[in-house]
Amino acid sequence: MSGYIEAGYAVVLGGLTVYGTLLVARERSARRRLPEALWRRRPASHGAEPAAGSPGDGTGPTEP
Amino acid sequence: MRNTSLLLRATGLLAVAGLGATVWLGIWVTPPDEHMGNLVRLLYIHPPAAWVAFLAYGVAFLASLLYLWPRTRDLRLDRVAGASAEVGVVFTALTLLSGSIWGRPTWGTWWTWDPLLTTTALLFVLYLGYLALRSVPGDPVVRARRSAIGALIAFIDVPIVYFSVDWWRSLHQPPTVDLATRQMYVHGSMAWTMLLGFVAMTLLYCWLVGHRYRLATLVAIAESEGAEVALAERRAEARSDRLVGAGLGRLADVPSSPALEPAGAARAETMVETLGSEWRPEGGAGLAGSSAS
Repeated sequence: MSGYIEAGYAVVLGGLTVYGTLLVARERSARRRLPEALWRRRPASHGAEPAAGSPGDGTGPTEP
Repeated sequence: MRNTSLLLRATGLLAVAGLGATVWLGIWVTPPDEHMGNLVRLLYIHPPAAWVAFLAYGVAFLASLLYLWPRTRDLRLDRVAGASAEVGVVFTALTLLSGSIWGRPTWGTWWTWDPLLTTTALLFVLYLGYLALRSVPGDPVVRARRSAIGALIAFIDVPIVYFSVDWWRSLHQPPTVDLATRQMYVHGSMAWTMLLGFVAMTLLYCWLVGHRYRLATLVAIAESEGAEVALAERRAEARSDRLVGAGLGRLADVPSSPALEPAGAARAETMVETLGSEWRPEGGAGLAGSSAS
């Protein structure tokens, strides 16, 4: 087979793999950061400390 | 919502399995073509990638149209449109690249200003512009409205790309699957392999859009939270300034900001709905449980 076929498959499948991986990584990163941002304000507004192990106590959320 | 996550995961697994099978059948099982020889093997990935680009832009168009319609206006539709268009841009880029790789041995050139290629390149640029428009900062509702209008304008090029091979003289062959006459110009194992490629790429599109949508939702909540936090900080500063000025004896007169609390709780619920219980801390009640307290 000519190198063109391999190149075509590599470009398409490689491109999709890179995009998919980046997307999942960005989603996980956003998911990790978000609860902390949410909790930073909530304990103050409710006048209570977050429960131990919760995102607001500095440990962050637990990934599944 | 846990079911949504499972469905998304299952879609991803099916897409990977389908793509694996397409590659195996396309490279090692199907026969070479009488005219194109082994180069026909690019048929199993190039047209499916182009199809997904069209599908993505079609979904973005429909979601934008529904967003602009007052009865169905919802920011979730705006996020669907943005997610779908971004995935469409990726698939358009891959279509252009794989087409260029196919064109070199077939036509003797990497690129030619053929009507189909030119309109496809224009489509790519138009949707890049759409994504740039989406990233312009501003009020979410205003941003969604102008993005929706942008998506409708960009979509005009999609039928032009599809029919360009019929309307003008083109080096490119007519579509392998003719939607108007419902005819396929390949048969046997080649047709089945290409069909599998279409299904696998469509499943992959669903998986990618699902993840891109979830990311957009998280970003929207974070942006909203950032604004809330900044506002709360400014109010706290203003309150402390007033305390210093008025003396500690007037503590009871200082107004709180009750308007922030229901908004925060509502957003917390939205987040729980969006993400399910995946990110909740181990052994803890999580945000859903705590937000009720």
